[in-house]
Amino acid sequence: MNAIRCQALCKTFRQGEEIITGLNNVSLEVEEGEFLCLSGPSGSGKTTLLNAWGGLATPDSGEITVGDHRIDQLGKGALADLRLHNIGFVFQAYNLIPVLSARENVEFVMQVQGVPTADRHQRAEAILEEVGLTGMSDRLPAELSGGQQQRVAVARAIVSKPELVLADEPTANLDSKSAAELMALFVALNNERGITFVIATHDTRVMAYARRLIKMVDGVVVSDERQEPQDMAV
Amino acid sequence: MTFPVATVATLAWRNLWRNHRRTLIMLAAITLGVWAMIFMTAMMRGMTDQVVTNGLNVLPGEVQIHHPDYRRDPSVVNRMEPPTAELKAALDLPPVKAWSARVKVPAVVSSERDSRGVVLLGIDPVAEKLLGSLPDEIVEGRFLESADDRGVVIGASLARRLETRLGKRVVLMSQDPDNNVADRGVRVVGIYRARLRASEDIYVYGGLRPVQSMLGIGEDISEIAATADDYRSVNQWYPRIAAAAGEQLEVLSWPELDAYLGTSLKVQDGFSLIFIVVVFLVLSFGLVNTLVMAVFERVREIGLMQALGMRPGLILAQILLESIYLLVLGLLAGNLSAWLTIKPLESGIDVSSMGDGLEMAGMSATLYPALEIQDMIMATVVVLGLGLLASILPAWRAANLDPITALART
Amino acid sequence: MNITLRLAWRNLWRHKRRTWLTVGAMIFCNVLMVFLISLQLGSYTMMIENTLNASTGHIQVQHQGYLDDQKMRQTVPGVSQLANSLRGRYGLQAVAARASAFALASSEERSFGIQVSGVQPEFETQVSTFPGLVKSGRYLQGSEASEVVIGAVLAENLKVKLGDEITLLGSGLDGSFAAAVATVVGIVETGIDPVDRSVAQVPLAWFQEVFAMGDHGHAVVIQVADLDLVPAALQQVQAHIESEANLVALDWDTLLPGLQQAIASDMTSAWFMYGVLILLVAFSVLNTQLMSVLERTREFGVMLALGMAPGKLARLVGIETLLMAILGLTVGVLLGAMVAWYFNVFGFYYPGMDEMAARFNLPGRMYPEISFLSLFWGPGTVFLGVLFAAIYPAMRLYQLQPVDAMRAV
Repeated sequence: MNAIRCQALCKTFRQGEEIITGLNNVSLEVEEGEFLCLSGPSGSGKTTLLNAWGGLATPDSGEITVGDHRIDQLGKGALADLRLHNIGFVFQAYNLIPVLSARENVEFVMQVQGVPTADRHQRAEAILEEVGLTGMSDRLPAELSGGQQQRVAVARAIVSKPELVLADEPTANLDSKSAAELMALFVALNNERGITFVIATHDTRVMAYARRLIKMVDGVVVSDERQEPQDMAV
Repeated sequence: MTFPVATVATLAWRNLWRNHRRTLIMLAAITLGVWAMIFMTAMMRGMTDQVVTNGLNVLPGEVQIHHPDYRRDPSVVNRMEPPTAELKAALDLPPVKAWSARVKVPAVVSSERDSRGVVLLGIDPVAEKLLGSLPDEIVEGRFLESADDRGVVIGASLARRLETRLGKRVVLMSQDPDNNVADRGVRVVGIYRARLRASEDIYVYGGLRPVQSMLGIGEDISEIAATADDYRSVNQWYPRIAAAAGEQLEVLSWPELDAYLGTSLKVQDGFSLIFIVVVFLVLSFGLVNTLVMAVFERVREIGLMQALGMRPGLILAQILLESIYLLVLGLLAGNLSAWLTIKPLESGIDVSSMGDGLEMAGMSATLYPALEIQDMIMATVVVLGLGLLASILPAWRAANLDPITALART
Repeated sequence: MNITLRLAWRNLWRHKRRTWLTVGAMIFCNVLMVFLISLQLGSYTMMIENTLNASTGHIQVQHQGYLDDQKMRQTVPGVSQLANSLRGRYGLQAVAARASAFALASSEERSFGIQVSGVQPEFETQVSTFPGLVKSGRYLQGSEASEVVIGAVLAENLKVKLGDEITLLGSGLDGSFAAAVATVVGIVETGIDPVDRSVAQVPLAWFQEVFAMGDHGHAVVIQVADLDLVPAALQQVQAHIESEANLVALDWDTLLPGLQQAIASDMTSAWFMYGVLILLVAFSVLNTQLMSVLERTREFGVMLALGMAPGKLARLVGIETLLMAILGLTVGVLLGAMVAWYFNVFGFYYPGMDEMAARFNLPGRMYPEISFLSLFWGPGTVFLGVLFAAIYPAMRLYQLQPVDAMRAV
């Protein structure tokens, strides 16, 4: 089954007087378990595509199916539920809720889902350990490094066992060591859990990890290649 | 979907204290506002209570029964017979605490030196004592001992004007039912002081039966007054008295007897509410401002939560809850400080520097603030209710942020 | 325009909504206070004028102690002559002599003890609104006729009509028995129950004859053109009567101490409320300015690093507050004046107010007074409170360390 399928997606924005094309007739299929990078210069539409797949932005026209949900016509609430249960998100920096500790940030999604307290604690601790943050669960985001913060974000994204993780420039504010560690974590999760990863980035270091690389320019897919991921482990 | 109360509660609470200075200033403002609402209401209620009780003391009794023409023409002609067995039975039933039948007619009192127009009250001191209508303080001599007491008790101010004193004789003069002069020399057995000086000049107390015999009216009386010791509840029992009194007599409750008192109470209730709402309105500008700023600072975070799958409803609930925390804390502090400041003052605030001015309004020189639970509840309900209403707009805006734009904000 | 001023102005509009909410609180408070204070001042003036004009007058010459005891023998000798000698001098507008005695008034059916006043009809009309309120019949004319004008309620109680006779029984100044019969020529209705219930006026000369007063009376009542002229007139009247050891001249505040105090107590409780509102507005400004200082920490750090003195920054914050305060004052006073003006023209009414008002000699409709004081007293205080609230946020700027400040988020 396809993790994501989209058909003839179009989306335009208005910026002042100008009308900007975000997506121009994009049709793609992403299979389960893929590790995919969307690349392209800023304004190429990669983030827009990611947001459309994640149900954060509604396309002007076209169809999107995530898992077995047709999402292009869902309402706000239903989209929120979809994100809550089926999709994990990792954004750029300032990805965490500042008033919640690392563990609480991870628990946050489960709390909203209604997972019982005891279960929640256990799962949060386990997942933080898995992403290499043993003993840091009570720290507030401000007390963690950028790399650590992103790991918490990853832990939060995968804790509810989504089939799909969407990441938007996850390494943007990280040094190369932290970036490499984060990517290694993505790869490991992709291999071990079979989670589909879609990463929008213009960071070539990140693209090297991908097994499928899609390039976009001006809202159009210009190349879609499968590649052998390079091992860049440090 | 379940409603994650704990998550929303934790988030709202921690967010509240992120900018602790702002929160503390806002809390101080709400506390001050609530304190003022309750304090002012308690003072106003105290004043009104006093106006009403003083007024009722002069009347006195929350319900009075008269000859239908007596109030327009308070002459001995418009008298009534002593209460029938049926009326007595009604008057002896709770919640009526006490009742008294009395003669009340205009009269002239003369000493060797001067004469004054007064209101002569022929009373049964035992019944009047229960009614609470006796003068506040006997400064010289004694009060009347029974309904047969042949002496009179006059006010200190009147004594001075008549240049008479305790033990002296004065002449009471009034008219009998046939418009003949009815007069009698009596001894001043007591001198009283009243809260309102005007009462001291007007009321002269004599025993019921000597006054009846002086006027030649047998057992007849001018009015019956009854009290249940709670002027606010009068409507619950006065219809029963009216029914028992029959068509021949006029039975009125105090708001009808003294329009000024009745309106005072209504005006005060209305005014308290207006005051509370006005204070709240001034407060609401700050409250809305605080919430707008809180949302403004957190746009990115709110976008993030939405992206993570928090429904707009939960975002709304979170902001509203933050506002509720603020309001509830302020209300607690405000109610508490109001209680703490008013309780010690309930024994009375001396405002004798404005005594004459207050007397014009029917008050005396000591103010007794009255803290009523219902006023605290009213202030709390208004602040919480309108506060939530004022918070809806900022919260609504937060809930309807577009996650993508919100996330793009740095 | 000065650069600091321009900077301050632009800074204000960086957060439009916040600035408007803060200024809005000021405006709301100002409008409310302008309206209420105008209403208060308007009703005070009316209350004083109405009460004094009813019968008290601005100044009275009385026998010492008469005010408290009101004994018949505390007289002013040669009362009409004294009134004549004062009339037209010292800028006094009107002067009238009065006498007063207790009497039992009897009609055919009823008797009441009342206070009878002897007045000079030709002058009484100038010091009292009372003669103008005759509802039926006419006011007194000659000074020697055996006529009486009584209040409407008293007339009803005595069951008398125009043309009926009333017998007055009392005692004369010398202790003799005084008795006379007077014809009711006019019935007065003031609408104020205690007045209508008690008032009875007869001509002064006739009164003096009946009560064996000779040329004595009890008071000379004086009106001046304006309340402000009372203190000066009082001094001159005092000087005029200096030779008469037993006479005193009393101003209206002494004659009716309750009036000023009623006003003072009303003002006090009103200012308690205003004080609370002003404090709340000050809190609101404090909050806003503190926020605006805190969120600009980095920006201020840069300015400090560039060599701007903390004092200049504090002044900037001060000017921002000043601008808001001026905005609040201007708009508040303008709107407030419009509201006050509207009610000044059309009158203000609150349900139940008329019964309260009657107690203080006021009509059922109130007309706010528009004056500098009524327009600026409240908003001026708000203005000061607002500026005061900016002190703490401005003080914080002195604690700023440039390097730390620039690192702040």
